[in-house]
Amino acid sequence: MATYKAPLRDMRFVLYELHDGAALSRLPGLEDMTSDLLDPVLEEAAKVCEDVLFPLNRPGDEEGCHFENGVVRVPRGFAEAYRLFREGGWTGIACDPEFGGQGLPKAVNSLVEEMICATNLSFGMYPGLSHGAYLALHAHGSDALKQRYLPPLVDGTWSGTMCLTEPHCGTDLGLCRTKAVPRPDGSYAITGTKIFISAGEHDLTENIIHLVLARLPDAPKGTSGISLFLVPKFLPGADGRPGSRNGVACGSIEHKMGIKASATCVMNFDEATGWLVGEPHKGMRAMFTMMNEERLAVGIQGLGLAEASYQGAVAYARDRVQGRSLGGVKAPDKAADPIIVHPDVRRMLLTMRASVEGCRAIGAWVAHAIDVQTHSPDPQARRDAEDFVALMTPIVKALFTDLAFEATNLGVQVMGGHGYIREHGMEQYIRDSRIAQIYEGTNGIQALDLVGRKLPAHAGRSLRQFFHPVGAFIAAHAEDDALGPFVRPLGKAFVRLQQATGQIARIGMARPEEAGAAATDYLRLFGLVAMAYQWARMVQVAQARLGSGGDDAFYRAKIATARFFMDKMLPQTGALFSIIMAGGAPLMDFPEDAF
Amino acid sequence: MADIRKVAVIGAGVMGAGIAAHVANAGIPVVLLDIVPEGAANRNAIAQGAIDKLLKADPAAFMTKRAARLVTPGNTEDDLDKLAECDWIVEAVIERLDVKQALYRRIEAVRKPGSVVSSNTSTIPLATLTAGLPDSFARDFCITHFFNPPRYMRLLEVVAGEQTRPEAIERVGRFADVALGKSVVPCKDRPGFIANRLGVYWLQVAVVEAIDAGLDVEDADAVVGKPMGIPKTGVFGLLDLVGLDLMPHVNASMAKSLPPGDPFHGAHRELPLINRMLAEGYTGRKGKGGFYRLNRAGGGKVKEAIDLATGQYRPQRKPALDLPRGIKAVLQAPGKAGRYAWQVMARTLSYAAMLVPEVADDIASVDEAMRLGYNWKFGPFELIDQLGTDWFAARLEESGLPVPELLRRAAGRRFYRVAEGRRQALGPDGTYRDIARPDGVLLLADIKLAAAPVLKNGSAALWDIGDGVACFEFTSKLNTLDPDTMALLSKALKVVGERFKALVIYNEASNFSAGANLGMALFAANLAAWSEIEQIVATGQQTYKAMKYAPFPVVGAPSGLALGGGCEILLHCDAVQAHAETYMGLVECGVGLIPAWGGCKEMLHRWARLGRLPRGPMPPVAKVFETVSTATVAKSAAEAQELLFLRPTDGITMNRYRLLADAKARALDLARDYAPPTPPDYTLPGETAAVGLRLAAESFHRRGIATRHDLVVAGALAEVLAGGDTDITRTLSEDDLLELERARFMRLVRHPDTLARIESVLETGKPLRN
Repeated sequence: MATYKAPLRDMRFVLYELHDGAALSRLPGLEDMTSDLLDPVLEEAAKVCEDVLFPLNRPGDEEGCHFENGVVRVPRGFAEAYRLFREGGWTGIACDPEFGGQGLPKAVNSLVEEMICATNLSFGMYPGLSHGAYLALHAHGSDALKQRYLPPLVDGTWSGTMCLTEPHCGTDLGLCRTKAVPRPDGSYAITGTKIFISAGEHDLTENIIHLVLARLPDAPKGTSGISLFLVPKFLPGADGRPGSRNGVACGSIEHKMGIKASATCVMNFDEATGWLVGEPHKGMRAMFTMMNEERLAVGIQGLGLAEASYQGAVAYARDRVQGRSLGGVKAPDKAADPIIVHPDVRRMLLTMRASVEGCRAIGAWVAHAIDVQTHSPDPQARRDAEDFVALMTPIVKALFTDLAFEATNLGVQVMGGHGYIREHGMEQYIRDSRIAQIYEGTNGIQALDLVGRKLPAHAGRSLRQFFHPVGAFIAAHAEDDALGPFVRPLGKAFVRLQQATGQIARIGMARPEEAGAAATDYLRLFGLVAMAYQWARMVQVAQARLGSGGDDAFYRAKIATARFFMDKMLPQTGALFSIIMAGGAPLMDFPEDAF
Repeated sequence: MADIRKVAVIGAGVMGAGIAAHVANAGIPVVLLDIVPEGAANRNAIAQGAIDKLLKADPAAFMTKRAARLVTPGNTEDDLDKLAECDWIVEAVIERLDVKQALYRRIEAVRKPGSVVSSNTSTIPLATLTAGLPDSFARDFCITHFFNPPRYMRLLEVVAGEQTRPEAIERVGRFADVALGKSVVPCKDRPGFIANRLGVYWLQVAVVEAIDAGLDVEDADAVVGKPMGIPKTGVFGLLDLVGLDLMPHVNASMAKSLPPGDPFHGAHRELPLINRMLAEGYTGRKGKGGFYRLNRAGGGKVKEAIDLATGQYRPQRKPALDLPRGIKAVLQAPGKAGRYAWQVMARTLSYAAMLVPEVADDIASVDEAMRLGYNWKFGPFELIDQLGTDWFAARLEESGLPVPELLRRAAGRRFYRVAEGRRQALGPDGTYRDIARPDGVLLLADIKLAAAPVLKNGSAALWDIGDGVACFEFTSKLNTLDPDTMALLSKALKVVGERFKALVIYNEASNFSAGANLGMALFAANLAAWSEIEQIVATGQQTYKAMKYAPFPVVGAPSGLALGGGCEILLHCDAVQAHAETYMGLVECGVGLIPAWGGCKEMLHRWARLGRLPRGPMPPVAKVFETVSTATVAKSAAEAQELLFLRPTDGITMNRYRLLADAKARALDLARDYAPPTPPDYTLPGETAAVGLRLAAESFHRRGIATRHDLVVAGALAEVLAGGDTDITRTLSEDDLLELERARFMRLVRHPDTLARIESVLETGKPLRN
């Protein structure tokens, strides 16, 4: 049976103990963000997620969204939940205080996001998309647009969308056809069709603000001719309240594998009134400031689902008795031993756990860097953080969501037939997690982004923010008595990653297809090494704190999970290295007509 | 060349002065004369002023300050008798027949028998110049047409008159070739000779076509520029550079002197836009600007370009052309730019084909003139070969353009071919003839036609250049040095030891080597691949050292840039035969590093042995520190000798084409009774000296000359040059110094400020002063 308790202990561990959360409050603008303020936020978030969102997850999945006469109805209970969520201030926790937000650090917000996604990903889509629209508008909108649209987006009375995809253009946005024709009053008439628009139409908010990619009449071809426009569902009147209906309507909704309670809409724009956001033809740039954070958020979605699945699987494995332990009877008072005694069940549970905790540590690391990037007064520190975030974004997105799909799948496997039937909610996690590997740039695109853009940029400068601290850590601790056994496997995998990176840079420069052939395996290799580094760091922290106050069980479990990761997961890097070194010929030499 | 011992140049304008400077660069004394300005206190003021200007010219006109002292200023009233000592008298005065002929009569009265007189005219036919002058003058007279600037432009067009003695032409031609380093191209006595005849037509067609097609100047320059192998200034950028005011003069002169049927007349027409620009002072870069200008209005700096239709300036924009790769593809590309490219190039190339044999006897001369006179990467006939003669002829017919006789003769055959390993060109009679290289010219490109490399990998190759000499060639991008270069050099040392007598390090790229592959190094540093980087450093040290002590002589033969690791390999050669235009330097400090492929140890040894310095261990250390810490680059081979990047015994070759043959001769010379050098010992001053050098650097820092990171780098360099923690009672070996180089290099390469410098050089081409 699915069950969820927010992993607050582990969240506090990554926030304060692993990544020095206290440092956050030394950044200008975050002075108040100490644990006194942040801990209650996490506890409150846990309550809302456990008590309000989690109970709606299963019924929302069963009921789904309904489309009638241009109107989308979300599942029962969602409107009330959204009201509570909004009134609790959760829509604006990470937003700029100038527009009514609470200005919480990204490092905290991403933990809250994890809880929301763990308990009800479909629900999370609605405020999640609003936040994306908020980010793009906040970074690139004119003051007038910001004054008018940001406050209701922040307080959640209005929601937002991102309208990118069209029927013939998904990954390749350069093919976008939606038109924007200037009008004498400075607005634009937007005409075209957008598909796969999450939260495009619903009855949760009084207005919906669409951010739409479209072409101006004089636009150059390709992605350098795309501009970003703001198109509200209702045009605000002079008082700022929603007024007359704009020329945008939902044509239908999609019937999907998962996230069924999230409305995925076809949106038709028919000379809808819109306003330019940012400069003409610079829409892709505006979109990408938002896209990086969105990609991180999608990674966090995977993390949340994997955590939820892990908790359900562990509860079941403790409870379910079946057969006897191979090592002798463990529960003589029962008809059989609980299945948690079996090596293979443990393999599955530990794989899930090591993935989840490793990802959470990486996620907190990157979120912390985003806070430095946003708030640090030191330009060099900001640029270093920006490099690091740029490098890690595709890894977080693809690694977290791939591992989430594997973990939720294991969650079902642990429960056997009881996982497969809908009643226990375990198969929903697989279906819900599946989309995270696809949207905001498929994981294949993430891998190409890593090898094609992030690696070569500035002769590999972004890499420095990862390789230098990791290399220095290994050099400093490989021979430590207690930590060494965790650092040496990291060192071995690190060398593989260095060699693979060098190989891709050398060969991929001359032959991009070779880099493309290596991309996905390389991203996984990178991700595993990043996790190994985080695991070694977690052991370092845990070893230092063991025996210093009543949390020894937590730290011992950390160290034990690290051991599992180093011995049972990290060796995959050896295979990945061989696969990468085998080159692209086995893929590209295969005759196309033989497929 | 021994028989031209003194030269006179009359006319101290830009060309005359530049020619005089370059004669001085060849080590030959030269008298520079001009008229006496009215009422001047200094009667040599014009010539003296020209020399002063030459000394400030950028790029430099003189190869060394010493050379400047070889130019003696004078005037045509008091100093004409000095011509009596000169073997060659170059006239470079105003383009007026009466002035020139009056001067010739005065020259004829004083010059010594058998001396040669030549004019640098570009517009007056030789026959006109000598008309009415005594036969004795005409026999010793020719035209020598230099290109601007004379030091750097390698083309010399030479026109012989009907009466000119062949020995006079031979004498001047040989001097120009060997001593001045020019490629001498014989031309007929026709207007514009070769390069300007075709070049002026090309520019005129390109301007007129761009106006008619309504093209932006940026687009025109972007298409009839780099994609054609033409310098990226294209057409309008080039006109801005040479000066718009020249255009009407040159065009008028061409229009006057070319026969009625010449295609030039079809391209020539008055252009109101240009007339207006000239009237307003827009003469190009030397004036207020030209087709491009820098608008400083309002204290800003806005790059602007002219709109050919309206004549108004507007902000310059990046050309938005989606051009295919390859010349042929560009000429067929749809759209305005493709049509423009075809119109300009079709007419230019077919005009070139009409000019043989009118202006030159062979096509190779035309190609050479355009390559060296206009810096085209390919001459017109090489371009036609890239298109295919039959394709080009067919396209000309389709476009309603005449097909020149020479192109018909080619009948689908290439203009150039390689037969039995020899390069041949199609003659005007339709048969192929070998392209002869003068004695003393050896080109690797020719050798490659007939042979396969002895060794080869992605970064280098080894060739057999005959007589038991091998040639090691860098082949990587920009000839940067990487582990593959070292691996092949290491292999080559073994092979040469077994099968050859000597080795020459040489290549025919524009630059010998820009040094180690910094992109690869930076990437490795970003990856924290420290042991790999240290391995690269150590391998380079060992390879260069093995080369130095190989059992056969090694001669370096650089031309162009030889920086960093590219300089260090030359420092390890037994001898260097350098092209005069070689720019050597240990520039590592500029990117926050120090020379670590033995550069420090070699320079220390040179200054200790060859430098004329006070006694004691400190002066050589200070001298090398001064040169290396400031990343000084010698601006010529002669200057490299002053800085001891070259030894006084190393040779300098003026003509690029003669470099390999000279180096090979040097190598064979050394191969007789060759013994490898004895490893040097080093007595170095140790830590106190390092402290002293650091203090000096700190004073530069306080004066704002050295940056914060300069101090870090200089500190590391000082430690190496001072010999680490040695003292003068101890003796260090080469290996001790190599270890110091390596250790300090490894310390610097981990420094984020060093990485930022490397990144800046790679990304912007500019050093970062952090």
